[in-house]
Amino acid sequence: MDRLFLSVRSEKPDTAAIEEHFETRLMARLEEQRISQAFWPVWTWRLMPWFVTIVVIIAIGNAIYDPMRSSDLFATFTNGYEDFLTTSLLSGG
Amino acid sequence: MDVINSEATDETLIKNVCAGNSEAFVHLVRRYKHRVFALATRFARDFDDLDDICQDVFIKVYENIGKFRADAPFEHWLARITIRTCYDALRKRKKEKANVPLESIHNLIEDKSIEAKQAAEVARNLLEWGFAKLRPEERLVITLLELEDKSIKEIAEMTGWSQANVKVRAFRARQKLKRLLEKNNEK
Repeated sequence: MDRLFLSVRSEKPDTAAIEEHFETRLMARLEEQRISQAFWPVWTWRLMPWFVTIVVIIAIGNAIYDPMRSSDLFATFTNGYEDFLTTSLLSGG
Repeated sequence: MDVINSEATDETLIKNVCAGNSEAFVHLVRRYKHRVFALATRFARDFDDLDDICQDVFIKVYENIGKFRADAPFEHWLARITIRTCYDALRKRKKEKANVPLESIHNLIEDKSIEAKQAAEVARNLLEWGFAKLRPEERLVITLLELEDKSIKEIAEMTGWSQANVKVRAFRARQKLKRLLEKNNEK
Protein backbone atom coordinates (compact mmCIF):
# COMPACT_ATOMS: atom_id res chain seq x y z
CA MET A 1 0.00 0.00 0.00
CA ASP A 2 2.89 2.34 0.75
CA ARG A 3 4.19 1.78 -2.77
CA LEU A 4 0.78 2.67 -4.15
CA PHE A 5 0.73 5.91 -2.17
CA LEU A 6 4.28 6.75 -3.21
CA SER A 7 3.51 6.16 -6.84
CA VAL A 8 0.40 8.38 -6.80
CA ARG A 9 1.99 11.01 -4.57
CA SER A 10 4.85 11.64 -6.94
CA GLU A 11 2.51 12.24 -9.83
CA LYS A 12 0.71 15.55 -10.05
CA PRO A 13 -1.89 15.89 -12.82
CA ASP A 14 -1.42 18.81 -15.14
CA THR A 15 -4.27 21.25 -14.60
CA ALA A 16 -2.86 24.12 -16.67
CA ALA A 17 -5.50 23.74 -19.36
CA ILE A 18 -8.44 24.01 -17.01
CA GLU A 19 -6.82 26.83 -15.04
CA GLU A 20 -6.84 28.95 -18.15
CA HIS A 21 -9.59 31.61 -18.10
CA PHE A 22 -10.74 30.28 -14.74
CA GLU A 23 -11.12 33.86 -13.43
CA THR A 24 -13.42 34.73 -16.33
CA ARG A 25 -15.68 31.73 -15.68
CA LEU A 26 -15.70 32.45 -11.97
CA MET A 27 -16.55 36.13 -12.36
CA ALA A 28 -19.34 35.24 -14.80
CA ARG A 29 -20.81 32.82 -12.25
CA LEU A 30 -20.52 35.40 -9.48
CA GLU A 31 -22.26 37.98 -11.66
CA GLU A 32 -25.03 35.51 -12.48
CA GLN A 33 -25.45 34.74 -8.79
CA ARG A 34 -25.57 38.43 -7.96
CA ILE A 35 -28.29 39.05 -10.54
CA SER A 36 -30.44 36.14 -9.37
CA GLN A 37 -30.07 37.22 -5.73
CA ALA A 38 -31.00 40.78 -6.60
CA PHE A 39 -34.20 39.76 -8.49
CA TRP A 40 -36.77 40.17 -5.68
CA PRO A 41 -35.48 43.39 -4.13
CA VAL A 42 -35.17 45.00 -7.57
CA TRP A 43 -38.69 44.05 -8.67
CA THR A 44 -40.19 45.05 -5.33
CA TRP A 45 -38.79 48.55 -5.79
CA ARG A 46 -39.77 48.67 -9.45
CA LEU A 47 -43.37 47.80 -8.64
CA MET A 48 -43.55 50.22 -5.72
CA PRO A 49 -45.03 53.17 -7.76
CA TRP A 50 -47.84 50.87 -8.94
CA PHE A 51 -48.64 49.79 -5.38
CA VAL A 52 -48.64 53.43 -4.22
CA THR A 53 -50.91 54.46 -7.12
CA ILE A 54 -53.42 51.71 -6.27
CA VAL A 55 -53.44 52.70 -2.57
CA VAL A 56 -53.99 56.38 -3.47
CA ILE A 57 -56.85 55.50 -5.84
CA ILE A 58 -58.54 53.36 -3.17
CA ALA A 59 -58.10 56.13 -0.58
CA ILE A 60 -59.60 58.74 -2.90
CA GLY A 61 -62.46 56.43 -3.82
CA ASN A 62 -63.20 55.84 -0.17
CA ALA A 63 -63.20 59.53 0.61
CA ILE A 64 -65.59 60.37 -2.21
CA TYR A 65 -68.12 57.58 -1.85
CA ASP A 66 -68.31 57.26 1.95
CA PRO A 67 -71.52 59.12 2.97
CA MET A 68 -70.94 58.48 6.69
CA ARG A 69 -67.60 60.24 6.68
CA SER A 70 -67.65 63.24 8.94
CA SER A 71 -65.11 65.30 10.74
CA ASP A 72 -67.46 65.49 13.75
CA LEU A 73 -66.94 62.47 15.97
CA PHE A 74 -70.33 62.99 17.81
CA ALA A 75 -72.19 63.13 14.49
CA THR A 76 -70.51 59.93 13.36
CA PHE A 77 -71.79 58.10 16.44
CA THR A 78 -75.28 59.59 16.49
CA ASN A 79 -75.90 59.10 12.77
CA GLY A 80 -76.31 55.43 13.37
CA TYR A 81 -78.82 56.00 16.18
CA GLU A 82 -80.91 58.43 14.08
CA ASP A 83 -81.13 55.84 11.34
CA PHE A 84 -82.27 53.27 13.88
CA LEU A 85 -85.01 55.65 15.20
CA THR A 86 -86.25 56.44 11.69
CA THR A 87 -86.41 52.74 10.81
CA SER A 88 -88.29 51.98 14.04
CA LEU A 89 -90.82 54.77 13.44
CA LEU A 90 -91.51 53.76 9.84
CA SER A 91 -91.75 50.06 10.56
CA GLY A 92 -93.75 50.58 13.78
CA GLY A 93 -91.21 48.68 15.83
CA MET B 1 -8.58 52.95 -2.89
CA ASP B 2 -5.06 51.48 -3.46
CA VAL B 3 -3.56 50.82 -6.85
CA ILE B 4 -4.19 47.19 -7.75
CA ASN B 5 -1.67 45.19 -9.68
CA SER B 6 -0.26 41.69 -9.58
CA GLU B 7 2.39 42.74 -7.07
CA ALA B 8 -0.03 44.09 -4.48
CA THR B 9 0.11 42.31 -1.13
CA ASP B 10 -2.60 39.90 -0.03
CA GLU B 11 -3.63 42.39 2.62
CA THR B 12 -4.13 45.16 0.07
CA LEU B 13 -6.05 42.88 -2.26
CA ILE B 14 -8.31 41.62 0.54
CA LYS B 15 -8.98 45.17 1.73
CA ASN B 16 -9.99 46.14 -1.79
CA VAL B 17 -12.18 43.07 -2.27
CA CYS B 18 -13.99 43.99 0.95
CA ALA B 19 -14.51 47.48 -0.49
CA GLY B 20 -16.20 45.90 -3.52
CA ASN B 21 -13.32 45.95 -5.99
CA SER B 22 -13.77 42.89 -8.17
CA GLU B 23 -10.49 43.50 -10.01
CA ALA B 24 -8.66 42.87 -6.73
CA PHE B 25 -10.54 39.60 -6.38
CA VAL B 26 -9.42 38.54 -9.85
CA HIS B 27 -5.81 39.17 -8.82
CA LEU B 28 -6.31 37.14 -5.66
CA VAL B 29 -7.83 34.26 -7.66
CA ARG B 30 -5.00 34.39 -10.18
CA ARG B 31 -2.45 34.21 -7.40
CA TYR B 32 -3.93 31.23 -5.57
CA LYS B 33 -5.85 29.23 -8.16
CA HIS B 34 -2.99 26.85 -8.86
CA ARG B 35 -2.74 25.78 -5.20
CA VAL B 36 -6.49 25.28 -4.99
CA PHE B 37 -6.47 23.22 -8.19
CA ALA B 38 -3.53 21.13 -6.98
CA LEU B 39 -5.32 20.22 -3.77
CA ALA B 40 -8.79 19.75 -5.26
CA THR B 41 -7.40 17.45 -7.98
CA ARG B 42 -7.00 14.76 -5.36
CA PHE B 43 -10.74 14.73 -4.75
CA ALA B 44 -12.24 15.52 -8.15
CA ARG B 45 -13.58 12.92 -10.55
CA ASP B 46 -12.89 14.80 -13.76
CA PHE B 47 -12.17 18.23 -15.19
CA ASP B 48 -15.75 19.47 -14.83
CA ASP B 49 -15.91 18.34 -11.23
CA LEU B 50 -12.57 19.99 -10.54
CA ASP B 51 -13.72 23.25 -12.10
CA ASP B 52 -16.95 23.19 -10.07
CA ILE B 53 -15.13 22.53 -6.80
CA CYS B 54 -12.62 25.31 -7.44
CA GLN B 55 -15.37 27.76 -8.37
CA ASP B 56 -17.26 26.85 -5.20
CA VAL B 57 -14.09 27.46 -3.18
CA PHE B 58 -13.58 30.96 -4.57
CA ILE B 59 -17.26 31.84 -4.31
CA LYS B 60 -17.09 30.95 -0.60
CA VAL B 61 -13.95 33.07 -0.33
CA TYR B 62 -15.71 36.00 -2.00
CA GLU B 63 -18.79 35.71 0.19
CA ASN B 64 -16.87 35.31 3.45
CA ILE B 65 -13.80 37.45 2.91
CA GLY B 66 -15.12 39.98 5.40
CA LYS B 67 -14.79 37.31 8.10
CA PHE B 68 -11.11 36.69 7.34
CA ARG B 69 -8.92 37.55 10.31
CA ALA B 70 -5.43 38.63 9.35
CA ASP B 71 -3.88 36.80 12.35
CA ALA B 72 -3.03 33.84 10.07
CA PRO B 73 -1.89 33.82 6.42
CA PHE B 74 -4.60 34.00 3.80
CA GLU B 75 -3.27 30.78 2.31
CA HIS B 76 -4.15 28.80 5.45
CA TRP B 77 -7.66 30.16 5.47
CA LEU B 78 -8.02 29.35 1.78
CA ALA B 79 -6.72 25.79 2.36
CA ARG B 80 -9.37 25.26 5.05
CA ILE B 81 -12.12 26.44 2.73
CA THR B 82 -10.77 24.18 -0.04
CA ILE B 83 -10.72 21.16 2.26
CA ARG B 84 -14.27 21.79 3.46
CA THR B 85 -15.53 22.24 -0.08
CA CYS B 86 -13.83 19.01 -1.18
CA TYR B 87 -15.31 17.22 1.83
CA ASP B 88 -18.79 18.49 0.89
CA ALA B 89 -18.25 17.27 -2.68
CA LEU B 90 -17.18 13.83 -1.42
CA ARG B 91 -20.24 13.56 0.81
CA LYS B 92 -22.53 14.61 -2.02
CA ARG B 93 -21.35 11.95 -4.40
CA LYS B 94 -20.80 9.17 -1.84
CA LYS B 95 -23.96 7.31 -2.83
CA GLU B 96 -23.38 7.32 -6.56
CA LYS B 97 -19.74 6.25 -6.19
CA ALA B 98 -20.28 3.45 -3.69
CA ASN B 99 -21.07 0.74 -6.19
CA VAL B 100 -18.76 1.58 -9.04
CA PRO B 101 -16.85 -1.53 -10.16
CA LEU B 102 -13.08 -1.34 -10.56
CA GLU B 103 -13.23 -1.92 -14.30
CA SER B 104 -15.38 1.13 -14.90
CA ILE B 105 -13.15 3.59 -13.17
CA HIS B 106 -11.31 5.75 -15.62
CA ASN B 107 -9.36 8.58 -14.25
CA LEU B 108 -10.44 11.40 -16.46
CA ILE B 109 -7.86 13.84 -15.24
CA GLU B 110 -5.57 13.92 -18.21
CA ASP B 111 -1.88 13.98 -17.76
CA LYS B 112 0.32 14.54 -20.78
CA SER B 113 3.03 12.30 -19.37
CA ILE B 114 0.55 9.52 -18.56
CA GLU B 115 1.75 7.23 -21.33
CA ALA B 116 5.18 7.14 -19.78
CA LYS B 117 3.70 6.38 -16.40
CA GLN B 118 1.38 3.47 -16.93
CA ALA B 119 2.23 1.96 -13.59
CA ALA B 120 1.32 5.18 -11.87
CA GLU B 121 -2.01 5.18 -13.69
CA VAL B 122 -2.77 1.65 -12.56
CA ALA B 123 -1.88 2.63 -9.02
CA ARG B 124 -4.03 5.71 -9.24
CA ASN B 125 -7.01 3.78 -10.57
CA LEU B 126 -6.62 1.16 -7.90
CA LEU B 127 -6.44 3.78 -5.18
CA GLU B 128 -9.39 5.62 -6.69
CA TRP B 129 -11.40 2.41 -6.58
CA GLY B 130 -10.44 1.83 -2.94
CA PHE B 131 -11.06 5.46 -1.99
CA ALA B 132 -14.55 5.29 -3.49
CA LYS B 133 -15.41 2.66 -0.90
CA LEU B 134 -14.22 4.72 2.04
CA ARG B 135 -16.35 7.12 4.00
CA PRO B 136 -15.83 10.78 2.98
CA GLU B 137 -14.03 11.69 6.21
CA GLU B 138 -11.76 8.66 5.90
CA ARG B 139 -10.93 9.48 2.32
CA LEU B 140 -10.23 13.09 3.20
CA VAL B 141 -7.85 12.19 6.01
CA ILE B 142 -5.95 9.51 4.13
CA THR B 143 -5.60 11.69 1.03
CA LEU B 144 -4.17 14.59 3.00
CA LEU B 145 -1.93 12.35 5.08
CA GLU B 146 -0.59 10.02 2.41
CA LEU B 147 -0.86 11.91 -0.85
CA GLU B 148 -0.48 15.51 0.23
CA ASP B 149 2.07 14.72 2.95
CA LYS B 150 0.32 16.77 5.61
CA SER B 151 0.94 16.17 9.27
CA ILE B 152 -1.76 15.16 11.76
CA LYS B 153 -1.59 18.64 13.25
CA GLU B 154 -2.02 20.32 9.88
CA ILE B 155 -5.00 18.11 9.02
CA ALA B 156 -6.58 18.88 12.37
CA GLU B 157 -6.19 22.60 11.70
CA MET B 158 -7.56 22.31 8.19
CA THR B 159 -10.60 20.21 9.05
CA GLY B 160 -11.37 21.54 12.51
CA TRP B 161 -11.30 18.00 13.94
CA SER B 162 -9.21 17.08 16.97
CA GLN B 163 -5.81 15.45 16.45
CA ALA B 164 -7.04 12.27 18.17
CA ASN B 165 -10.00 12.17 15.82
CA VAL B 166 -7.77 12.58 12.77
CA LYS B 167 -5.49 9.76 14.00
CA VAL B 168 -8.43 7.42 14.55
CA ARG B 169 -9.88 8.19 11.13
CA ALA B 170 -6.52 7.74 9.43
CA PHE B 171 -6.00 4.40 11.16
CA ARG B 172 -9.47 3.14 10.22
CA ALA B 173 -9.06 4.33 6.64
CA ARG B 174 -5.72 2.56 6.26
CA GLN B 175 -7.12 -0.68 7.70
CA LYS B 176 -10.18 -0.55 5.49
CA LEU B 177 -8.15 0.24 2.40
CA LYS B 178 -5.70 -2.55 3.18
CA ARG B 179 -8.55 -5.06 3.51
CA LEU B 180 -10.11 -3.89 0.26
CA LEU B 181 -6.86 -4.14 -1.68
CA GLU B 182 -6.09 -7.58 -0.25
CA LYS B 183 -9.56 -8.77 -1.14
CA ASN B 184 -9.10 -7.41 -4.65
CA ASN B 185 -5.72 -9.17 -4.93
CA GLU B 186 -7.28 -12.49 -3.98
CA LYS B 187 -9.83 -12.15 -6.77
